[in-house]
Amino acid sequence: MIKVLKPGLQTTVQDQGRLGLYEIGMPPSGAMDQFALRVGNMIVGNHPNAAVLEITYIGPELIFEKDTQISLTGGLIPPKINGVPVPMWETLAVKAGDVLSFDFVKSGARIYLAVEGGIDVPLVMNSRSTYTLIGIGGFEGRALAEGDVLATGDLHERKVAAGTRIEESLIPTFGRSHEIRVIVGLCSYRLTEESKRIFLETEWTVTPEANRIGYRHKGQRLQFVEREQPFGAGSNPSNVTDLGYPIGSIQVPDGVEPIVLLHDAVTGGGYATVATVISTDLNRMGQIKTNEKVKFVSVGLEEALQIRKENQLVLNKIAENIASR
Amino acid sequence: MSKLHTRYEYGGDEFVFVQLSEAMSLEANFKGIAITRKLKERNLEGIIDICPANASYMVRVDPDVLHPDRLINELREIEDSIKDLDIEISSRVVDVPVLFEDPWTHEAVMMFRDRHQDPNSTDLEYSARINGYNSKEEFIGAIDAAPFLVSMIGFVPGLPWCFQIVRQEKQIEVPKYVRPRTYTPERTFGFGGAFAVIYPVQGAGGYQMYGIAPAPIYQKEQTLPDFQESIVFPQQGDIFRYRSITRDEYDAVRAEVEAGTFTYRKKEITFTPQEVLENPERFSEMVLRRLYHD
Amino acid sequence: MSKAIIAPLPGVFYRRPSPDQPEYVREGDQVNPGDIVGLIEIMKTFYELKAEESGVVAGFLVNNEDIVDAGQEIALLK
Repeated sequence: MIKVLKPGLQTTVQDQGRLGLYEIGMPPSGAMDQFALRVGNMIVGNHPNAAVLEITYIGPELIFEKDTQISLTGGLIPPKINGVPVPMWETLAVKAGDVLSFDFVKSGARIYLAVEGGIDVPLVMNSRSTYTLIGIGGFEGRALAEGDVLATGDLHERKVAAGTRIEESLIPTFGRSHEIRVIVGLCSYRLTEESKRIFLETEWTVTPEANRIGYRHKGQRLQFVEREQPFGAGSNPSNVTDLGYPIGSIQVPDGVEPIVLLHDAVTGGGYATVATVISTDLNRMGQIKTNEKVKFVSVGLEEALQIRKENQLVLNKIAENIASR
Repeated sequence: MSKLHTRYEYGGDEFVFVQLSEAMSLEANFKGIAITRKLKERNLEGIIDICPANASYMVRVDPDVLHPDRLINELREIEDSIKDLDIEISSRVVDVPVLFEDPWTHEAVMMFRDRHQDPNSTDLEYSARINGYNSKEEFIGAIDAAPFLVSMIGFVPGLPWCFQIVRQEKQIEVPKYVRPRTYTPERTFGFGGAFAVIYPVQGAGGYQMYGIAPAPIYQKEQTLPDFQESIVFPQQGDIFRYRSITRDEYDAVRAEVEAGTFTYRKKEITFTPQEVLENPERFSEMVLRRLYHD
Repeated sequence: MSKAIIAPLPGVFYRRPSPDQPEYVREGDQVNPGDIVGLIEIMKTFYELKAEESGVVAGFLVNNEDIVDAGQEIALLK
């Protein structure tokens, strides 16, 4: 059992997500940084889909009510146990009565707490992820609040020795400027050639509207190709006949501010989508803070699949690292 | 016969997005239904999502199992195989009661006049006028008269986009609000572009607001009989008849919903896109007869 | 010697609890640990920025409604 002394800014239970439900309008939810989720679970010997706590910007204060092992992965929000700094990306043993707290965020935006066995909340449509918009999944469908008590589950698969740490070179770091790789496509035919170029050349600034639903960016105005409005599309040049929005897709309502749709986004609507963040870089997207810089870099499908393979190789290497201990 | 032009696009490394037409039409929607249902039948390994939309659809894959280009080849093949839309669609026809000009959405309409194209009219008055109807009553009559095809589910869980089964020249079309509202009552019946919708939950919104449905289309508690299988009631391909009701009937349905006994009046139906496209009026009449008299 | 009050998270900085209310603190005001000096809005949440030490407000380094960074100095105490 883990008791919430202070909830932090927005701490939610997340796993790999509620997949396969776009058809009914349900977004995937799940951890914004799936790499950190995956590694966090490895370090405590959990099943890859065990639920963890996703902690954003300001950490909670939690008290452990029994001895267990934990890990902290993702962005650098320096963790402390009983007020003493502890390392991230390492198997940590905690004792009953230990208090976990956090310093102010140093880099990245989200840190993940994995606990042996996973956070135990009811499965809703095969996932423990919180989707706050309609209040399902996670802990009572909402972010944690003071006084909540979390149970741990039975998704523990193997014992990992305390002190097991992954190689420094495999740990991602996060600066303040980010290159996010995208595949240009979907309805990019709506943008003028010049605006496609501007979209890729601009250094965008992340606005305060940046959360699990999406990230909105400020920079340049984009223009759409003139047209006769197709029936049902809507009158704004950025409108299309309502269609599905892939996770990571980027739309530019009225050409003003590109929005990258993320894990809790709406699943469809009437804005032209012009590019999609590749699956590997969604993890990095989730570690970007308001006011940081983003450049969208165009890649082809084969390159995206190659990047995906390399990411998988890093995960395999980490798994070997841990198994060899 | 088709003037549609298909566009295949990648949505990152996990999605394939297929736009069947830039414009909405019954034909484009039927084509999407046909292709996505055929794809489902193929049971390809590596498919995570098949999400049909109004005049497009998208498919999510695990690209380690199914390469997006291989999927696109399959989709082209399916598209070729249904060229004449020679398929049967099995779905449901459903009676969906709506109380037009209700006090709750009227309050919301008045709250956001400053975000509307015409602050001096209600959403109904404005929509009736720009669509060439003499009165809002006549306009409500047009919505009530012919059923709608549920052409897409999405935005938030359960929201049905509905496209009326009438000839193109009789389609209603309205703009969205100039600036989106911050509040829309739960179960609001709204209209935007060429689509009628019901808002599953209270929230922001930009569609014109005409009324409210007494029965939910989304229920996370799953206590009502129609929600045993899924928290979401509408399915793409359903045919909804939005029936104008009185306040008394509204209150009666609400009471049934609260007692946990409400079920939608519905019938199974099988039809071909051809019979709809050839004569929408005749098809609509047949559907309504089947729903209320068979 | 001056001490800075630092924003622990990024967001929009506000000096007043709401537009029609006075500022939490002004230049020259005495503050004590725990006193609210402003709000930072992020992800539809308002974070109360508090003084951690006592002192007199020497000045603000950002304006009302500026977007601030995590780690940015917001006000100085003397």
